[in-house]
Amino acid sequence: MKFSECLSEEEVRQVHEASLIILEGTGILVRNEKARRIFAGAGCRVDGKTGVVKIPRTVVDQYRQAFPPSFTFRGRDPRYDRTIPRDGPIMITASSAPDIIDPETGSQRRATASDIANISFLVNELPGFDVFSISTLAADAPQGLSSLVRFYAALKNTVKPVRSNTPNMKELEDVLALGAIIAGGEEAYRKRPIINHHYCPVVSPLTMDVESTEAVIYLTEKGLPVYGTICPNAGMSSPMSLIATLAQGNAEFLSLAVLMQMVRSGSPLIYAVLATVADMRTGNYAPGAIETAILQMGFSQMARYYHVPSGGYIGLTNAYTNDAQSGYETGMGATAALLGGIDMLNMGGLLGSLMVFDFAKVMIDNEIAMMLKQLKNGIRFSEADLCLELIRTVGPGGTFMDQMHTLKKMRTTAYLPKVATRDMKERWEEEGRIEIGSRALREARLILARDNPAAFDAELDRRILSRFNGLEAVTGKGIPSNAPGKN
Amino acid sequence: MAIQDIFNAVMEFDGERTAALVREELGKKTDLSLILNEGLIKTMDEVGRRFSAGELFLPEMLQAAKAMKAGMEVLRPHLSSGMGGRKGTIVIGTVKGDLHDIGKNLVAMMLEGAGFEVINLGVDVGTEGFLRAAEVHKADLVCMSALLTTTMPAMAATVKALQEKHPQIKTMVGGAPLTQGFSDQIGATAYSADAPGAVETARKIMAGRVERTDG
Repeated sequence: MKFSECLSEEEVRQVHEASLIILEGTGILVRNEKARRIFAGAGCRVDGKTGVVKIPRTVVDQYRQAFPPSFTFRGRDPRYDRTIPRDGPIMITASSAPDIIDPETGSQRRATASDIANISFLVNELPGFDVFSISTLAADAPQGLSSLVRFYAALKNTVKPVRSNTPNMKELEDVLALGAIIAGGEEAYRKRPIINHHYCPVVSPLTMDVESTEAVIYLTEKGLPVYGTICPNAGMSSPMSLIATLAQGNAEFLSLAVLMQMVRSGSPLIYAVLATVADMRTGNYAPGAIETAILQMGFSQMARYYHVPSGGYIGLTNAYTNDAQSGYETGMGATAALLGGIDMLNMGGLLGSLMVFDFAKVMIDNEIAMMLKQLKNGIRFSEADLCLELIRTVGPGGTFMDQMHTLKKMRTTAYLPKVATRDMKERWEEEGRIEIGSRALREARLILARDNPAAFDAELDRRILSRFNGLEAVTGKGIPSNAPGKN
Repeated sequence: MAIQDIFNAVMEFDGERTAALVREELGKKTDLSLILNEGLIKTMDEVGRRFSAGELFLPEMLQAAKAMKAGMEVLRPHLSSGMGGRKGTIVIGTVKGDLHDIGKNLVAMMLEGAGFEVINLGVDVGTEGFLRAAEVHKADLVCMSALLTTTMPAMAATVKALQEKHPQIKTMVGGAPLTQGFSDQIGATAYSADAPGAVETARKIMAGRVERTDG
């Protein structure tokens, strides 16, 4: 498939040049002291008073040589490992929403550990998703155990790769200890690290924070998988210009990427972004805007320039329910990004600008994910698939429906959705004109009523619970059948 | 119509001209309350009206507030204490562990535009920082913001410390992951979902019309 590109080769080079000018001239405010020392040691100019680090172009060029071309997500079951760009586009749930739409009452509330267990199991079963980025927070987690509870509830219920962040070093170390128990020891964990870490260490414009930067350095030193997402918001934290937002965001990506190479040469990277244009009528955040997709296409092009995998939060929506707005914002954003050559999309399950998880939304997004994968496959050319012999056999006026070839190919040639309706109108009316949210919730309930094949065995669960004080067993509760989507 | 010129200068976002025109009126011994109310304060009512109607965008609102502030700075030394110079003092900051301050700065600018004395402490402000600033500046209201869900607990600690040491100081919290429920839970005086709401709530608090908001 040829990608859609917004910029010419020369323009891409000029954006790169502009980023070098930003890094060398304006610099990055680095609030983490260890990071400042690393930059200084690599030949950057560090202002001891302000904390601003200026990165000369020669330094960027030198460390850029070490960027590796691929990134691997690992899961409890190696069959679910995914390497991008080779296995792309991979689909990841969008994550860390504080709230959930309660599937029983339909009202919004804080999410809990049990919700994470439910969602993890569901995502394990949904073929559209490759990686489970922990969808919500857990409001019921004991203080200081938030990350442990979230990762435990997630890892217990899926064999797919799990991804999320941690707020401080203590919680990060707990999570790594959890990973080691699951992997069967620290040595085994180092070989197959099944927790995939993600942070936003760069706060636009041009600032690197303390805690997330610390975590990225720590994980990179250990050779564990970690990457960052760059999130400029035009009009607020970058200029009100798409090309300037691209140049500034690219400088921000480069600062993080070269820092990681300084820590450990050859550290895998993902060029991941969530770049938006603020709605200046009110200043509101607009991740569902079409400009989020346009910028993603631009950043994917920049990622190809550096030969690193491209990703981002894309296919997000500002809508609060599974309405037309939710559908077109997710659909248009994700489709544009895919055509622009993205390798990894964080797109599943969240409504209301990343603030609330919804079971129906994740089912709909699973279908969108499957359609995107189908779209990426495009039309594969082969002599055999041209079916010239079959066309001759059936001939003018015949039918292909009774041909064995049709039987063999009909389950794989077209993607067959379960949530989208293709019923005749009479049947749709007989069933009670069920709208998409209810159909989606019905599908989710059916899956969650089954036994989870991915769940930890009892012995492993016991070992984990006895290792961590205050950690309690978590189980998903499914979705009760009196939920709004019952019909 | 010289007072109208001040009003127009603010509405055209021209701070320098606003300041110059105020100076000119002071030279002419124009009634101070006329300059204050008709020239400057009235612009904010007009800006608020046009913003609500969708005619003005947020950056225009900010530019108008800046221009108005430039005029106020010239006028303030001439005002007597009772003349509406001081609507109340507000300390504002992003809580410990959080570097996100776009929303908070927006609220700070709009509060200034509305005529409050605003002390903006910046980002990553700990409980001690809020307490000290509230004491030094004799704050009426302390506003706290968080974007990261992980930094929300820091707010609870600050609200609690303020209540214990200075129960007369009101608190307002905000930020994308916050809710009225969270605000109630930590015992903040008020919660606001957005910047214009924060200004409105601050006005009510200062007028003594809000003891605690309820959802």
